[in-house]
Amino acid sequence: MAPDLFEGYERGPFFDEIFDSEDGVRTHYRSLAERLRGLSPGDLERTERLRDSIFRSRGITFAVYGESQGIERTWPLDLIPRVIPADEWSHVERGLVQRVTALNRFLEDLYAGERAALHDGVVPRWLVQSSAGFVREAHGIPVPRGARCLVSGIDIVRDGDGVYRVLEDNVRTPSGISYVLENRSAMTRVLPVAFAQLRVRPVNHYGSSLLAALRSVAPPSAGDPPRVVVLTPGVYNSAYFEHAFLARQMGVELVEGRDLVVEDHVVCMRTTRGLVRVDVIYKRIDDDFLDPVVFRSGSTLGVPGLLAAARAGNVTISNSVGNGVADDKALYPYLPALIRFYLGEEPILPNVETYLLWEPEQRAAALARLHELVVKPVDASGGYGIVIGPKASEEELAACHKNIEENPRGYIAQEVVALSRHPTLIESGAGAGTARLEGRHIDLRPFVLSGERVEVIPGGLTRVALRRGSLVVNSSQGGGSKDTWVLAQDEEAG
Amino acid sequence: MLSRHAEDLFWAGRYIERADDTARLLDVTYHGLLESPLADAATSWRELLEVLSLEHAFDARHPTVTGAAVSAFLVLDADNPGAITSAVSHARENARNVRERISTELWEAINTFHLELRGRNLREDLERQPYQLYSLVKSRCQAIAGVASETMSRDDGWRFLLLGRMLERAEMTCRLLSVRFGSHASTGLHADVHYWMAVLKSVSAFEAYVKVNRAEIDRTDVLEFLLLSREFPRSVLFCLRASERELARLGAGLQPSRPERLLGRLRADLEFADVHELLEAGLVESLETVQDGIRSAADAVASHFFLGSASPTLHAFEAA
Repeated sequence: MAPDLFEGYERGPFFDEIFDSEDGVRTHYRSLAERLRGLSPGDLERTERLRDSIFRSRGITFAVYGESQGIERTWPLDLIPRVIPADEWSHVERGLVQRVTALNRFLEDLYAGERAALHDGVVPRWLVQSSAGFVREAHGIPVPRGARCLVSGIDIVRDGDGVYRVLEDNVRTPSGISYVLENRSAMTRVLPVAFAQLRVRPVNHYGSSLLAALRSVAPPSAGDPPRVVVLTPGVYNSAYFEHAFLARQMGVELVEGRDLVVEDHVVCMRTTRGLVRVDVIYKRIDDDFLDPVVFRSGSTLGVPGLLAAARAGNVTISNSVGNGVADDKALYPYLPALIRFYLGEEPILPNVETYLLWEPEQRAAALARLHELVVKPVDASGGYGIVIGPKASEEELAACHKNIEENPRGYIAQEVVALSRHPTLIESGAGAGTARLEGRHIDLRPFVLSGERVEVIPGGLTRVALRRGSLVVNSSQGGGSKDTWVLAQDEEAG
Repeated sequence: MLSRHAEDLFWAGRYIERADDTARLLDVTYHGLLESPLADAATSWRELLEVLSLEHAFDARHPTVTGAAVSAFLVLDADNPGAITSAVSHARENARNVRERISTELWEAINTFHLELRGRNLREDLERQPYQLYSLVKSRCQAIAGVASETMSRDDGWRFLLLGRMLERAEMTCRLLSVRFGSHASTGLHADVHYWMAVLKSVSAFEAYVKVNRAEIDRTDVLEFLLLSREFPRSVLFCLRASERELARLGAGLQPSRPERLLGRLRADLEFADVHELLEAGLVESLETVQDGIRSAADAVASHFFLGSASPTLHAFEAA
């Protein structure tokens, strides 16, 4: 008789995604838990080996900057999937559509409209103008349908009460969707038994949805169908795998800056049969590198004259240039107000409590209890530069204190969210086949497409903080991932 | 298709072919020496380096020519871009650059081959069982060609991959002939038969040759077969005809492109050549003309279709 996989599992003082407060298995997880219980340590070991060999041979890796040795790491997928019941998901989905709609309206207002939110004081004008992501040169560039956040990755966490909250908006170049699709594909191969009797909503239509969204924002002068390309910084970028993946899924060219040329404000790619016009560019490089005429003059990744071509309405760049202002964490606290302002609705998904450090009273209050808060730089991503008060040393806190006083605009402070935990397979270190389940903190990055309408891909990328007690889930910081299963509507009876 | 992609596919084709050909040459040289212990080992290994145009690069790194040193240099020396591991790793980089253009099966075949080589103890392979290693390389390269053939649409991408492979092969066979015929004076002994058998085997041509000429291993017939056969897929003429055909399909208009013209001229010269005349006129010179022609055609392909960047490390290294 194989030992029960869940035996000896410690739920801890957190919201657990599988076990409720009485240590009972949550309804939506019951049938899956039964099937996982049937797996012996030998089964698990074989499954893990198969998973690793699939990812290795497919070359599903990610790069970690600053590591010279073996810069490519195999993607870490935990075998225990996360399951989200249909009713919970429909709540999250409505909240995401609402939030992304407001973000699109805000950016359109800022770059192509009256700037009503600034006139009416919903967001302080100086805050927008001092944002590193605010691009003056983007003013007046038309974006069909106002679909500026063509692809959004909205990071969501669950707090100690299981409430879904938005932690961060990513509307520049959110990455991770390729891992969502590859995770699913790998799971169906290595653990087919787990899928039995559950109706998991599929995700593999992403490529066609993305292509449809990109075509829907083509300029009026575009061909029929419009020609779409993916613009990558190249093979050495950490997300290159994803760029290639998306181009392949959509069946479009993956181009680098040197493949494109602008002639008479029309963007063309250099092909073996001469120049071919391009209508929509799904850009996966930073704004700063996009066009050396406008931004960094030394950049070889970009295309001279690209912005002028976009301004002339001959090409659409997605996500739109200048979206970085909405990724600025200093703007994040204003999202609920922006939702009310543009949509006249109450926010469905709440934010995390955030201190505005540039307001003297809030700054004083935050500095007084820095050891209890999380401090984040407003312009960094990937988990870099974050100070978690309860875990920081005195020196780190002192340095953080000083940084905030010198540059209050540069940081935000938030209450620590006791991220929900999910049972996760952890190697005990006692050799192969000895992995056991331990609770690990997780978050969720769902992906939202804006085209003819706003569409949410069911689930998203669940990231896991693999180090015991860690709250940092980024893959660049030792995070793992889980396949995320959203159940179809009639699955509730369990 | 994108010029940059065309370039990557072309070089992926060349590098895989290079790895395959290098393994064949090593295999035949190593085992040929075992079978005929009287032969001069150092001369055989030096000839191999000359076939690959790597004798200067080798001499710059090694004081003497030994089987072990040459084998290691051609299999696993990271400084040698033509070494099997380097060639496969370059091919993998090229494939990675066109990841979304080639089939997933083809990418996986190249990627797993690269990982497999990295995971092996190659020095130990060379010491104990070089045969296994060379067989592995040959069969993986063949498998990659097969997977490409069975999973890729016959579009421009396929054509550049094939073009790279065929031009590389034409050049290799041509070099092989010029080194082997340049150095080996006929002695009329059994040693002769062994020598020409080894030459045939190094391009997997022995059985095909015997089917046409039976077991009469004759120097002139070997030359004719490897240079001018229209049926055998490793003869110079066969490779040039295949390259010309792919170039014609890549062409856009009625006028042949410059690479097509160059290649067509070269192919026509061989097509109507007579092997005895070639021998009389001076074989080594004739073969050098063919080799130069192949190089010019490859350069013309680069300047006509690609982004105009300098030719990659492989040729630069050989030229050094």
